[in-house]
Amino acid sequence: MENYLTELAKYQKKINANPGQLETVIRVRNLIEHNFSENLDLEALSKDRFVSKYHLLRLFRKYYGQTPKQYLISTRLNKSKEYLREGMGVTETCFAVGFESPSSFSKLFKSRNGVSPREFRKRAIFDK
Amino acid sequence: MRVTAISIPVRDQAKALAFYTEILGFIKKLDIPVNETDRWLTVVSPEDQDGVQLVLEPAPLHFEPSRVFQDALTEAGFPYTQFDVDDVQAEYDRLLALGVSFSVKPTEMGTVKIAVFDDTCGNYIQLIEYL
Repeated sequence: MENYLTELAKYQKKINANPGQLETVIRVRNLIEHNFSENLDLEALSKDRFVSKYHLLRLFRKYYGQTPKQYLISTRLNKSKEYLREGMGVTETCFAVGFESPSSFSKLFKSRNGVSPREFRKRAIFDK
Repeated sequence: MRVTAISIPVRDQAKALAFYTEILGFIKKLDIPVNETDRWLTVVSPEDQDGVQLVLEPAPLHFEPSRVFQDALTEAGFPYTQFDVDDVQAEYDRLLALGVSFSVKPTEMGTVKIAVFDDTCGNYIQLIEYL
């Protein structure tokens, strides 16, 4: 047991070493989580935190392992599944989560999930 | 190729099934007899019932290296499996009230909050919430 607690304490000291950076990336992640349907680009996100676009890109990748854009896309796709399960139409879902083109949304959804949003919705409704 | 099932070693499948469904809240997905004592037993998350299945795998009962590995992890306190939750503190409170024992209380670690509990089947499990 001591082994893991020791490792945890070491990692905690390292990861919490820069509270300013942590505050920035956590705030940006929360901005994405709560405003995923908005037109959020790197410029808007960096302006909110008064940091340069490239600095934010590096910081976000350092703490979350992916870029803000990748995180935004995953958040939108996860949310779209929720809406489709609830029975929302594909086009409506596309716009509700912040994508602008239903055909690009369908293509992206299928590439990530193996089924089209239409098929996903049909299965979800059938399973109810 | 898709990830459909990952295994967690358990020493008593019936006990594990009770813990993972009645305490943690997972749902039994597959229960297929393999031989006189073992089952292909899987559970899924209620929010993602067609997602990745967790196999309650009785390997430590029949395969010595599996038992040795599981014992070593337990002795060191290492969680080898992790579940995402929306709110670690709320899940900690809920599980504590159900008698679950935690080796790590809710702790902030940079961009995440974690907690670690004993699944009563020989494993420590880490809960994680993104802050």
